Amino acid sequence: MSRVQKYTYFPGCMIPFRLPHFELTIRKVLERLDVDMIADEGHTCCPEPTTFTGVDFEAWLTVGARNVAVSESTGRDTLALCSGCFHTLAIARHMIHSEQDIRERVNSRLKKIGMEATGNVTVKNILHVLHEDIGLERIKKQVVHSLKGISLATHYGCHLVRPIEATHMDDAENPRWMENLIQAVGAEAVDYEDKMACCGAPIAPSDEAKSFRLTAEKLRKIRAAGADAIVMICPTCYTQMEMQQKKTAEYLDSEFSIPVLYLGEMLALAMGMVDLVTSNSRRYHRVKIQSLLEKMGVGK
Amino acid sequence: MTIGGISSDLEFRNWILQQPEGQTLLRCYQCGRCTSACPVAEIDSSFNPRLFLEKIILADEALAEERLIWTCLTCEQCEVRCPEHVKIPQILILAKVRGLATGNTPQTALDRARSILRQGRTIQVSDPMIKTREKMELPDLGSPPVEQLTKMLTDLKLAKRLESTESRYGGGESE
Repeated sequence: MSRVQKYTYFPGCMIPFRLPHFELTIRKVLERLDVDMIADEGHTCCPEPTTFTGVDFEAWLTVGARNVAVSESTGRDTLALCSGCFHTLAIARHMIHSEQDIRERVNSRLKKIGMEATGNVTVKNILHVLHEDIGLERIKKQVVHSLKGISLATHYGCHLVRPIEATHMDDAENPRWMENLIQAVGAEAVDYEDKMACCGAPIAPSDEAKSFRLTAEKLRKIRAAGADAIVMICPTCYTQMEMQQKKTAEYLDSEFSIPVLYLGEMLALAMGMVDLVTSNSRRYHRVKIQSLLEKMGVGK
Repeated sequence: MTIGGISSDLEFRNWILQQPEGQTLLRCYQCGRCTSACPVAEIDSSFNPRLFLEKIILADEALAEERLIWTCLTCEQCEVRCPEHVKIPQILILAKVRGLATGNTPQTALDRARSILRQGRTIQVSDPMIKTREKMELPDLGSPPVEQLTKMLTDLKLAKRLESTESRYGGGESE
């Protein structure tokens, strides 16, 4: 038996408490791949990068740096499943590591609570772990049910990918790691117009109409490409594009019904863990996935 | 003082330049690629990142009062296309920070900040959420060390600022 690889799991708020099926499916998928996630109670809210930054950037950076310091103390690489958390930790780590004055300023605050951050820790998202650390070959070996004949559109989400100097993704404008994972499970990754367009969610607090117009545009382009479903990683994008998909009908003259899968759900289905996905599908999928599962040959 | 017909406060620009990534503003030569890359500008011509940068270059603090700056997605499409790698979303974030003093902050943003300050989390964790995790046999995540967070944020005077700030606009529903 191969040795188990361990990561410090940064849970955040959205995935463990609002969308726990994300955590459930990815934990089981990673277990199959001999990877374990260990949470540390010292972590707090990342803090989220879309509004808290604009309230107090220094506070955001300081709390982010504190979380980086906690991660450093674990001695393991940190895996943040949520793209917002990943973005915050990756930028805080990058700033502390590359800019001396920021490092000193932030550490003068951390010192008062007995902590220090150096930036000498690796912050990863799920694509780093799956694509780079585990690798496509090991994943292919665990596929027991090929998703052949299914076409899937990727939605990476902005904060997972940019800024590239902090995220260390493969490309800022045309990342390919998720497409490679889709192909590894036998499905087809469909290309569509403006693949890297934002889901619209970050501006919902200030201008809901604009926010959902962008979501509607995004869904229209995905539908035009003929995708059976969308695969994504970010819980905020999921909340916008899945949980609130119906709402977009107000902003475009047609209603959408495009199923959305979390990346962990797609992998779980290909690895034969169908019950894991179906047992929670009614609660966490407002767009029904039954016909998609039937097309995959795993529907009941 | 007045520059180019607008009331101008150099203190605002100097403050921006001293903040993280603020110096990148000086590389902007107003080519407009940022605006051509912006998905919000595509659906609303009054949202113009190039013009926002121009206003900061001219030290027009009125920008911090504009609600429009809060419709930046922070998607960073502009930054990717910018030939000079100006950290445009970050510069707009700094303008938003300046706007807090006069309440140019969406209610949701204030609610989230208060929640982080109070409980170390953006969202309120309820008993049913904990029960769902138990049912899924997911591990107990404990509670975040709020006292450390509160101490740091009190030192930064955020707690005090949040107490006295009222949002000028509702904008979006509270979580």
